[in-house]
Amino acid sequence: MSQFRYISPKTKEEVLKILEEEKSEACIVAGGSNVLPYIRDKIIPPKLLLDISGIEELNYIKKNGSNWRIGATTTISDLISSKIIREECNILCQAAEQFADPLVRNKATIGGNLADASPAADTAPPLLALDAGLEVESKGKKREIFLKDFFLGPRKTALQDDEMITGINFKSDSLNKPGCFIKLGLRQAMAISVVTVAMVLEIEENRVKDIRVAMGSVAPIPLRLFNAEEFLKNKHLNDDLIEEAKNKVYEEVNPISDIRASAEYRCYISGILFKRALEKLTNQTS
Amino acid sequence: MMEEYPIELTINGEKIVSTAKAEESLLRFLRRHGFYEVKGGCEKGDCGTCTVIMNGKAIKSCITLAGQANGKEILTVRGLEKEESGRKLQESFVQHGAIQCGFCTAGMLMTAKAYLDENHQPNKVEIRKAISGNLCRCTGYKKIVEAIYAVAEENQKSK
Ligand SMILES: Cc1cc2nc3c(=O)[nH]c(=O)nc-3n(C[C@H](O)[C@H](O)[C@H](O)COP(=O)(O)OP(=O)(O)OC[C@H]3O[C@@H](n4cnc5c(N)ncnc54)[C@H](O)[C@@H]3O)c2cc1C
Ligand code: FES
Ligand code: FES
Repeated sequence: MSQFRYISPKTKEEVLKILEEEKSEACIVAGGSNVLPYIRDKIIPPKLLLDISGIEELNYIKKNGSNWRIGATTTISDLISSKIIREECNILCQAAEQFADPLVRNKATIGGNLADASPAADTAPPLLALDAGLEVESKGKKREIFLKDFFLGPRKTALQDDEMITGINFKSDSLNKPGCFIKLGLRQAMAISVVTVAMVLEIEENRVKDIRVAMGSVAPIPLRLFNAEEFLKNKHLNDDLIEEAKNKVYEEVNPISDIRASAEYRCYISGILFKRALEKLTNQTS
Repeated sequence: MMEEYPIELTINGEKIVSTAKAEESLLRFLRRHGFYEVKGGCEKGDCGTCTVIMNGKAIKSCITLAGQANGKEILTVRGLEKEESGRKLQESFVQHGAIQCGFCTAGMLMTAKAYLDENHQPNKVEIRKAISGNLCRCTGYKKIVEAIYAVAEENQKSK
């Protein structure tokens, strides 16, 4: 019987070399908050555990002009304690503060959250709303994948066997507009979401100039709601319009039933949360 | 790339040189080395009873690979009494009746210690949030929050 093996490289280059050699035999471990429960429940067969938690060069939060870059092993706690994230990228800060609990946040990384590709991944909706891209590398090769193209299904991503996420990037233009993240869980802390919504909204003369909205736990993947966005653009916001937009939301979402909620309830709640986010942001802008 | 690999870490001030199994959690590693005060519960990150402090931060040892503690400093509840801030918390838990069955206590104390080391003026709501990763089925949390709050208040006064 094959057994687990362990290695903890100190540089990104070493990681890429090992991934090239081992391919699907390797399992990257960042925070381990998903991987260790998977090992315990035998969801992951014996593999090479490739521990990237000690790689300093992958832990950073940088802003250069209007370009933001966050390293893959940046933890959720790092996001919360970052002054520029709090002040200038508040939508991500809001999601980080509602993520798991303080102890899990000390380990959970942003790269691991996205690579795990759970429909409930809490950093995904805000990053989708920010039009984020992923920096993906394999030995001698770099490419960028838009986050909206990254998720292929529950726990399925566009990553190849020899690739890793090295960073996440996005631009400031969507950050100058009011944004919010709302999470509905079964309890206030440490809850995997029932439904989440992240929204960025710009209103000009009472018209929707720009809107970007993404939701978690309402489909097999974290979902950007392009149809609802298009529907609202350039229209005057009023109660009737919001009701109509909610119907667009119902058309786009495709949730499942699980131990936390039924599909019907999730669908119903997605419209409510969408409306709440719109109201929250219009109150802020007016 | 090994099924067993060498590991060196400091636990409650004592240096431990040993080997760990590839998939071994820090929780299992600690217990295998006699640190039975670190309790195992759900072993999937939910309950918090396995909480230890690693380089100043409270973490759940069951969702941490032993190798991730290589070269680091670990504090368990046994090491608490060596530090004044730890002793104060222990005494306050006893005085406030914040312990019933005791299942959560070792982890709860570690979370409280790391939190008070960083945040010196918390209110009770903030304390509730800080301990939200540690489940207690007995006390209803009220007495635990009061015990931690009392220490925070005392620290404030003595400054
Ligand atoms: C008690 C508890 C509560 C939780 N609550 C929440 C919550 O509220 N919201 C939420 O979104 N999640 C939650 N989670 C899930 C988990 O904590 C997050 O998904 C976390 O961000 C995973 O990050 P990690 O670094 O621990 O990932 P790991 O477990 O290390 O890895 C996760 C997956 O990603 C892969 N991977 C990691 N890094 C990379 C990389 N750089 N490139 C390619 N692949 C990579 C790994 O191979 C693995 O498949 C919770 C987990 C627990 C145990
Ligand atoms: S045993 Fe670690 S969180 Fe339950
Ligand atoms: S005292 Fe029993 S679980 Fe907390």
